[in-house]
Amino acid sequence: MIRLLLLSFALMFILTHEVAAQRKSVSGTVTDRATGEGLPGVSVIVKGTTVGTATGADGAYTVSVPADGQTLEFRFIGYQAMERTIGNASTIDVALGVDQRQLEEVVVVAYGTADKSSFTGSASQIGSEEFEQRPVTNITNAIAGKAAGVQTTSGSGQPGEGPTIRIRGVGSINGNNDPLYVVDGVPYSGSIANLNVDDIENMSILKDAASASMYGARAANGVVIITTKKGKKGRNQLNVKLSQGVSERAIPEYERLNAFEYYPLMWEAYRNSLAYRASNPLSLDQANQRASEGIKGLLGYNPFNVPDNQIVLPDGTINSDAQLLYPDDLDWEAPITRTGSRADYNISYSGGSEKSDYYVSLGYLNDKGFAIRTDYERVTGRVNVNTQPLNWFKGGLNIAGTVTNSNQVATTGSTTFVNPFFLSRTMGPIYPVYAHDPLTGEYILDENGQRIYDLGSMSDLGLPTRANSPGRHIIAETNLNDYGFKRNVLSARTYGEVYFLKDFKFTTNLSVDITNNNNKTYQNTLVGDGAPAGRASRTSTNTTSYNFNQLLNYSKTFGLHTVDALLGHENYDWTYDYFTGSRQGIISEGNSELINFTTTNNIESRQDLYRTEGYFSRVNYSFDDKYSLSASYRRDGTSRFYSDVRWGDFWSLGAAWRLDQESFINLPDWVNMLKVRGSYGEVGNDDVGDYYAWQALYELGYNNASEPGYLQSTLGNRELVWESNNSFDVGIDFDLFDRARGSVEFFNRQSENLLFEVPLPISSGVLTRFENVGAMYNRGVEFQVSADVIRGTDFNWNVDLNWTTYKNQITRLPQDEIIDGTKKLMAGQSIYDFWLRDWYGVDPATGAALYRADTYNESNSMIIGSDTVTTNINNARYQYSGSAIPDFAGGITNTFSYKNFSLSALLTYQVGGKVYDAAYASLMSAGSYGTALHVDALGRWQNPGDVTDVPRMDNSQTTNFNASNSDRWLVDASYLNFRSVNLSYSLPASIASKLQMQHALIYITGENLALISARKGLNVTQAFSGVTSNYYSAARVLTLGLNVTL
Amino acid sequence: MKKIIYTPLVAFLFVFSSCDKDYLEVQPTDFVSEQAVFTTTTNAWAALNGIHRNMLIRQDDQSEFGEGGVKVNMDMLGEDLAFASASNSWHRNTYRWNDHRNTSSNVAQYVYEFYYRMIGNANMIINNIDAADGPEADKQAIKGQALVYRAWAHYQLVQVYGKRYDAGANNEQLGVPIMLSNTTDGQPRATVEEVYAQVNADLDEAMMLLEGYERTYKSHFDVNVAKGLKARVALTMHNWEAAAQYASEVIEESGATLMSRAQYTEGFNNVDNPEWIWGSRQIGDQQTYFASFFAYMSANFNSTNIRVNPKLINSALYDRIPATDIRSEMWDPTGESVPAPPNGTKAPYASKKFLSQSSALSIGDVPHMRLAEMYLIKAEAYARMEQDDAAAEALYTLASNRDPEYVKSANTGQALVDEILFQRRIELWGEGFRFLDLKRTNSGLDRTGANHNPAYAVTMTVEPGVNDWEFLIPQGEVNSNPQIVQNPL
Repeated sequence: MIRLLLLSFALMFILTHEVAAQRKSVSGTVTDRATGEGLPGVSVIVKGTTVGTATGADGAYTVSVPADGQTLEFRFIGYQAMERTIGNASTIDVALGVDQRQLEEVVVVAYGTADKSSFTGSASQIGSEEFEQRPVTNITNAIAGKAAGVQTTSGSGQPGEGPTIRIRGVGSINGNNDPLYVVDGVPYSGSIANLNVDDIENMSILKDAASASMYGARAANGVVIITTKKGKKGRNQLNVKLSQGVSERAIPEYERLNAFEYYPLMWEAYRNSLAYRASNPLSLDQANQRASEGIKGLLGYNPFNVPDNQIVLPDGTINSDAQLLYPDDLDWEAPITRTGSRADYNISYSGGSEKSDYYVSLGYLNDKGFAIRTDYERVTGRVNVNTQPLNWFKGGLNIAGTVTNSNQVATTGSTTFVNPFFLSRTMGPIYPVYAHDPLTGEYILDENGQRIYDLGSMSDLGLPTRANSPGRHIIAETNLNDYGFKRNVLSARTYGEVYFLKDFKFTTNLSVDITNNNNKTYQNTLVGDGAPAGRASRTSTNTTSYNFNQLLNYSKTFGLHTVDALLGHENYDWTYDYFTGSRQGIISEGNSELINFTTTNNIESRQDLYRTEGYFSRVNYSFDDKYSLSASYRRDGTSRFYSDVRWGDFWSLGAAWRLDQESFINLPDWVNMLKVRGSYGEVGNDDVGDYYAWQALYELGYNNASEPGYLQSTLGNRELVWESNNSFDVGIDFDLFDRARGSVEFFNRQSENLLFEVPLPISSGVLTRFENVGAMYNRGVEFQVSADVIRGTDFNWNVDLNWTTYKNQITRLPQDEIIDGTKKLMAGQSIYDFWLRDWYGVDPATGAALYRADTYNESNSMIIGSDTVTTNINNARYQYSGSAIPDFAGGITNTFSYKNFSLSALLTYQVGGKVYDAAYASLMSAGSYGTALHVDALGRWQNPGDVTDVPRMDNSQTTNFNASNSDRWLVDASYLNFRSVNLSYSLPASIASKLQMQHALIYITGENLALISARKGLNVTQAFSGVTSNYYSAARVLTLGLNVTL
Repeated sequence: MKKIIYTPLVAFLFVFSSCDKDYLEVQPTDFVSEQAVFTTTTNAWAALNGIHRNMLIRQDDQSEFGEGGVKVNMDMLGEDLAFASASNSWHRNTYRWNDHRNTSSNVAQYVYEFYYRMIGNANMIINNIDAADGPEADKQAIKGQALVYRAWAHYQLVQVYGKRYDAGANNEQLGVPIMLSNTTDGQPRATVEEVYAQVNADLDEAMMLLEGYERTYKSHFDVNVAKGLKARVALTMHNWEAAAQYASEVIEESGATLMSRAQYTEGFNNVDNPEWIWGSRQIGDQQTYFASFFAYMSANFNSTNIRVNPKLINSALYDRIPATDIRSEMWDPTGESVPAPPNGTKAPYASKKFLSQSSALSIGDVPHMRLAEMYLIKAEAYARMEQDDAAAEALYTLASNRDPEYVKSANTGQALVDEILFQRRIELWGEGFRFLDLKRTNSGLDRTGANHNPAYAVTMTVEPGVNDWEFLIPQGEVNSNPQIVQNPL
């Protein structure tokens, strides 16, 4: 690595011997009309010939003009073209003016930018104006609903978290499906949450393989290019942005039963387990009596003022005298939530002189989530400096540091005792948060007069045992435990650029991303996993990645022909160091450092390495702005595969045709621009989720007491090769009536050689092995249009709309079928097609759950009409029951502006598709005494003859009655989300200037204001797989902001 | 001139080709390469030790703590262990006889997966050890132990997933796939007869290889453990003669001695106990938190499961234990003396047999074979052969150790068998035998007339021989092995 670096710099010095191949002819300087600075890279062509050149770094050029040369043409992306008659002049200086229209149409692509008018690929741009007023901590939140072909999850409400993103469907089954994030030209290995949103200039989402293929190795799932701000020449400014907001839970809790409704249903669940059991069932009367006597014992708590055996009367109704003893202390959701707050302060200054520009920023963010003990405090700093000290050399450094401190709640396990969203959701409505005298209902106080958490198993206080999670207390545990991290991040990008031989540019980029993460946990001595000794862990992870590339650019214009060629080499080196230690037995309370504990439970460390290397080239050719061709080739090697097969070849071709520039096509006047483009490319994916997938390995960590030991872990596969994504893309870009601009596209993304974790027979002793088997495609159509509906002097209305539909289909698999949770993968089906037991309904005679039967089996089946149904889930027939992929989805942004006011609203929508509501399913089960029930349980079967869709409440029958993996739990996934609304007022320039300001803006923004979906509480877009869990749902955030530029 | 032009290009190309050749070669630090494992016997010992350790390690969910987790399930399915509450869900659906009959339950998969993982690792050793460098004696010791694992794991599997071995029949019923090589091709289920034949063949070969091998830890196998397993297998096959013979050999040759009364109350957590023939040792920095035998079966560890659902002995069974028997102190009919964790339930008939290192540490050694079991096998085998005197004598050695007042049994015939089985129930309570004993003796399950709460247990009786005695083959195996046939529903 160091050697490479030295060589690169040495190379630059070699290049100082720039060839002075002077030709006596016309010379001059091209400058920017606004700033007067020299413009490098401007095409200077002798009109009607192929003779031409490009300006050097200082804007100077020299061109040899043939005898018949009359006119010089000056062309540069983002500027208006200009022509000058040559005549007798030997010096022609020109000043080019910025073409505002074109400037917007520069697309950030791999290793540079492209002119949108000739761009052959597909990219969505999101500029800073679209997110700078939104209270987003993680920039990925700004993508939702903004780009056609891009699907996002709703994202966690945990401060700092962002949604998951899929570009044009799902390309891999077991491999990674996340896009590659490229920050300032280099793949970023840190968390995107490290980036200060205020530092970001724009995002460019590369969707087609031809655009992405230049990132080869890791770009199979598309690329999100994030470019940070830089100073602008002649615009020295100081910007201050302050915003302050509040947050709360955006998706409400499911509707659940209260204590008066709940007790009788639990009574019924017990009664029915006695009256309907297979061996010696009790008579209904006996069972009623037994249930009235025994239900309190099973639930543990009697929150009413009536005797334990009279809460529910033998007729199944609640005792009409029953009153709650502590009605205000039965809600577990309120104590784990709060009104969060969000403060975001940024200051930046930037500008540029003739040869240099700078951007410096400092940001502070403090986001306190709506769940207690969750926060995210971040300090960011960035310096971006670019300078051109010599005519032939340009260099720069963009360095950013981020320090983050965050407390979190553990929601990674949907049903763990430390997940507040799980326990508060499922806690029966009869259990108090604090200890109460069982008879009087009075709070029991400690020696300091404080309330005591009721841990649900406090026999010492004379309290009963809570049937739900006795000995656990999510509120106490969340308050008393620690679960958080500290993260220090350094990210630097530096480059050097040398111009030589007039048309050549050599660039070398070196970047480093360092993330030092310290996770800390503490589990208290009172309640939970750490009790009674107290337990703590510290986990330190250091991620260091280097990316180093060398690029040789050649750019030449011959008359109407323009050629751009790029040759490059890149290597990436990623190192991950992991260290963890855990101890228990706290010595002095309040200090969770490991030295303050008595016993070591575990100490471990490891290091992982991942490396890639690639060679690549690209040629762009355009003729007269009408036709563009683009071709690229890249060869990548990865450390994840065996040496004989680790190199993969990827390539792409693209073409575009500007119909509106053709003289032989007569388009109506209202067609301002019309372009047809298409591309095909092959991109690789090596991310099998395992750095050593090809190797057959034994796992350490199996020492037998003090003897060394290891155990077989993986079989390895030396034939494992790149998964390949072969994408075809064709689209039409248009600009009509000078008002509506957009594109319509069709894409066909074929994944081949899928990196597949093939399930092996369990009896083989190893569960899975990675193989390249299977193929899948994602085909779809996307549409995006931005229209100025009303464009007046005072009032403007713009609509930005996008719509996407796609079909995912598996075409080949390693085995006929692979069942994975709620899905079954099969050729001809999609990756997210639900494979579930076929729910038939409820037997009106017995209240038993019925499923369509696999086979008729005398002991558990019956025939209803022409249907064979079963009461035994092991005999239930499975069937495909719909897909989690919606019919179509997208976003609509309406922006209204009136004088200095602006109102913008982003709606995201999805129509069709199904969600498997696992969280709801658990609320419909009578299987656990003390677990909360959904209000829908009131519709349960009660008496023979009842026709309903909710089976008998029966504690002993939940395996069959409330079986998971049944299409009973599917619900429509359509939704409409009022994702973001923003109202701003910009101070009139006349006033601003009096206040010594260039610009001042005040705004109010609301995020996640409302979600309309099939069921209250349902978090539709929690996961692409369409399965809900107990999860930190998205936050509703309201902020007030001020943005001043001096 | 030209030279100057090409200089940068040449330099550029030089940069291109300058990455080190091994730049893309990386090795993990928490794994070792399979090739290295069988190069030497030293390395192969580590592969064997990994299997020993797997006896204790969490497999998937926290109730899947190696062999200990299987043991708990085997007692949950019996009638000698009762629930004190249903408010903690661990093992509840096993206790109710649901999980082992649900093809997608964790229990159905875990037991299958755990034993086949042991077999797979044993096969790696058996099939590769001969080529390793090292002393021949080491190779024999390593291979012999791997064979014991392979035999034992197949034996456990066939008992659980197959119909019971019926000594009077030809046992053509489906057992489990016999795995002798490390193939990823799914194998069909062999017959129960074939599986037992393989188990015995492996044990016989192991006994030859282990002859003379002196083990250093009781987690390893020496010839006595192999013989003890021969006795167990013979008992299951109703091969009384072999059962008696191998049990006697272990009693005479293993060097193990019955523990003292004082040792009996120490918590069944120490492999150094003189009575233990085979057990897993757990040390401080290898604790598995809630995924531990002692996090469910001990009286004192502070887990929710133990606090609210301490494990009870069947009250009818307990009431038959004489007060002078040390084993009567393993449970408390009042619950008062149980060393429950803070705020733990002190339920009547709760167990004190197993104690974890402390209420904060779920550490403890797990017994897999004790000398007492050999006396019980010997006694039962003789009684079944109607050699009542020899049976009563073997039983007397054990029972009088436990109860100084015990008088040598005058029972004969079935009454003597029943007495031996009673002794077996109270001696081996909680050690993973009950379900398998019920099945091998073709007995029904009867939880009535004792402290089983029907609201918790749901299933109170099960007739002998019905389909419910077979675990269902896990769905994962059915999905990935086209040759597999599911048990009748």
